[in-house]
Amino acid sequence: MKSVIGLEIHAQLLTETKAFCACKIDVNAKPNTNICPVCTGQPGALPVLNEKVVEFAIKSGLALNCEIHQRSSFDRKNYFYPDLPKGYQITQYFHPIATEGYINLDSGKKVRIRRIHIEEDAGKMIHSTENITESKESLIDFNRCGVPLIEIVTEPDMEEPLEAKEFMEKLRDILRTIDVCSGNMEEGALRCDANVSVIDDNGRSSSRVEVKNINSFRYVQYALEYEIDRISKSLKEGKDVKHETRGWDFVTRTTVSLRSKEEENDYRYFPEPDLPILEVSKDLIEQVKKTLPELPDQKAERYVKTFGISDYNAKIISKDRDLANYFESTISAGVDPKDGANWIVNDLLSLFNADSAEFDPGKVSVDALKILIDYTNSSKISRLSAKEVMSEVYKSGRNPADIIKERNLIQVSDEESLIPIIKKVIEGNPAVVDQYRKGKTSVVGFFVGNVMKETKGKADPKAVGELVKKVLDGKV
Amino acid sequence: MNGKDGILKGIPFAVKDNMEVIGTKTTCASKILENYVSPYTATAVQKVLDNGATLVAKTNMDEFAMGASTEYSAFFTTKNPLDLERVPGGSSGGSAAAVASGMVPFALGSDTGGSIRQPASFCGLVGYKPTYGLVSRYGLVAFASSLDQIGPITQNVRDAALIGEILFGMDPKDSTTVEKHLSLLKDIENPIKNFKFAVPKEFVKDLNSDVKRIFEGVIDRFKKMDVKVEEVSIPSLKYSVAVYYIIAPAEASSNLARYDGIRYGLSVDGKSIDEVYMRTKDEGFGREVKRRIMIGTFTLSATYYDAYFDKAQRTRAKIVNEMNKVFDSYDAIIGPTTPNVAFKIGQLSSPLEYYLQDIYTIPANLAGLPAISLPMGKIGGMPVGLQIMCKRFEDDKMLRIARNYEKVSQG
Repeated sequence: MKSVIGLEIHAQLLTETKAFCACKIDVNAKPNTNICPVCTGQPGALPVLNEKVVEFAIKSGLALNCEIHQRSSFDRKNYFYPDLPKGYQITQYFHPIATEGYINLDSGKKVRIRRIHIEEDAGKMIHSTENITESKESLIDFNRCGVPLIEIVTEPDMEEPLEAKEFMEKLRDILRTIDVCSGNMEEGALRCDANVSVIDDNGRSSSRVEVKNINSFRYVQYALEYEIDRISKSLKEGKDVKHETRGWDFVTRTTVSLRSKEEENDYRYFPEPDLPILEVSKDLIEQVKKTLPELPDQKAERYVKTFGISDYNAKIISKDRDLANYFESTISAGVDPKDGANWIVNDLLSLFNADSAEFDPGKVSVDALKILIDYTNSSKISRLSAKEVMSEVYKSGRNPADIIKERNLIQVSDEESLIPIIKKVIEGNPAVVDQYRKGKTSVVGFFVGNVMKETKGKADPKAVGELVKKVLDGKV
Repeated sequence: MNGKDGILKGIPFAVKDNMEVIGTKTTCASKILENYVSPYTATAVQKVLDNGATLVAKTNMDEFAMGASTEYSAFFTTKNPLDLERVPGGSSGGSAAAVASGMVPFALGSDTGGSIRQPASFCGLVGYKPTYGLVSRYGLVAFASSLDQIGPITQNVRDAALIGEILFGMDPKDSTTVEKHLSLLKDIENPIKNFKFAVPKEFVKDLNSDVKRIFEGVIDRFKKMDVKVEEVSIPSLKYSVAVYYIIAPAEASSNLARYDGIRYGLSVDGKSIDEVYMRTKDEGFGREVKRRIMIGTFTLSATYYDAYFDKAQRTRAKIVNEMNKVFDSYDAIIGPTTPNVAFKIGQLSSPLEYYLQDIYTIPANLAGLPAISLPMGKIGGMPVGLQIMCKRFEDDKMLRIARNYEKVSQG
């Protein structure tokens, strides 16, 4: 069995105003406050294209290695739904702004992008029950109506659910790096519909099934795993696989049939007469190209080459532009790049992960991290204390030096303070000293442990170990 | 509405009821918008108000501008002031009747396939449809967006020029508008000596003898002004009605989708959302509107798109090309505005008879050309119009020709 997966992704663009009117975009605004005659479909109102939307679409196209078309056009997609005030969505059906791009997965596999087009979002509906058919009452918020989207359609180049998940993550990282989309799937800023079919060992292909409502990166994988399993079983049992649209239910972790292809709308696409042909000059494309920042893959490559950090660390750090900037700031502050990368990936990020939070450079400042790394490297504090302090800084934002002082975490490592304590411990355990003399050097650990106990853990174990040997050997 | 200071100060005017004027009902003569109050004002209306005119009325029309007699209004049948048994034409019949009866010196209409020119012809007035893109459609309730254009209905050519110029201008709210800085009045009195006019064979071959006689008189008058008038052939014109009745309903089926009973207008309750839609539209729309929505929905459907809509678009491009070619050699295309004078109320019964009313006016909409109708004569006391069309954005030349004809015909 082999599966064939293609994705259709909608990304909300981070423009200040809507695609075809001047209404503000603000997810926190009260319902139906950012609306006007255009986005509520009043009679006689006309759309006017927001130039920023074009710029963002070009930027996305370039970042995804697409060809940008100097002439594209808008069309109407007609269907009835209460959240669609005009009774049609303005989209680019016949001539999209960008085509033929790709994203490379870490395996080196190329996933081709068929097209990117501009369109507008619909309103948001809240039903008194699960869906509109059973709902007695439904509320509509038109604030989201007319928010610009780009739809990205891939070729069916993926074969594994994990590849689809990786594609989505890479896409999110790119869109965030170029500042066109927040990439948040849970909030619906990035949405994924997956098309999947399964080919059995005899080369027979199932019908294609579309899975909608996938609202997290993990669910891209889970929904596809579930669906491939479901289709494969049907194929094995010789049952018919319906050509249909199914919805992912994250509660039951299953997919349920939404509608068969025969029940699909006929969208009656035709050219939007209210908008002229969208002409984009070569100059504009070049200008946008110049504003493109370094993309995650390019960045990771540079980190490995210039800083000698591991591939693994480089990939993780370069995914998130804020994190990458943070990393580069620690290097500017004088931290060794490998140290910095290890601390960031192993310690710092685990704090955010534990909270399921996005990385936020304000939580543990570059200065704070540098103090912790410096103190640890110079053995002023233990690695364990450093972890503890970092967690406190993360929570409270306090200065790490203050916390170290307050908690008395500075390690004792100077000979003058340590030798009297070591001598006291050795004198109190003559039997163990005897064992050492007979060649059992492992008992050094016993003395170190006791010294640590005496100092309430504040001694630097490394320094203590060396000094214990010196005292036992009579070198001090 | 009180006028501001300006060139039109104190002059009353009326507006077809498919243009938004804030605080007024804009019904489009449809039950579905019977109680709809405009939340904003159409750009074209605002421009007239800004020049000091006083809006005194919204005028009756065929529902959603779909008709040629104003009989298709959901509320009233407007009568022709020149003969109360006859229609005033349509769809801007209310605007034409208001001017013809002397209620107002000018009114705004909209023209998608002849809806300004045909009523002007029936009521003995001047009806001017500007080049597509000169006048903002923002606030004009859309019928067929690629064809709709606002224009004035007036008692004479100079008034049409005056109002037309006020309506012009690029509107940031309508992406299909352009800025052209045309002056319609400046050279309007200049003679038209040595102009060349084309008369398409397709426009005169089936003319009834009365209209033909009057039109031949027009040609004679022009010839006396040293204008060369020649017959030409524009073969694709024979497809214009067919093309129009595919494109206009297709766009209309999409433009009228928004009247769904959800946000404003008539809303009829139902057990499901689909039932709300169906009952609202069934009670809200009249027969002709329903007919066109169905035609448009059919021709845009995936199965028939290529056979109908796409073919119509390609034929439209051919008509545009052929007409533009004529303008390489001629200053204007002239012909009668309508095949006959105003018919009697209730006289026409089949949709096709109504559709053929637009046979001479439709090509200007398909090609986005400026076109004007002005009186050229009377048959049994009822007027019939002369139509002049010019190249896109040669509205100034067209009004000059119209003014020259008006002078000799009144002279």
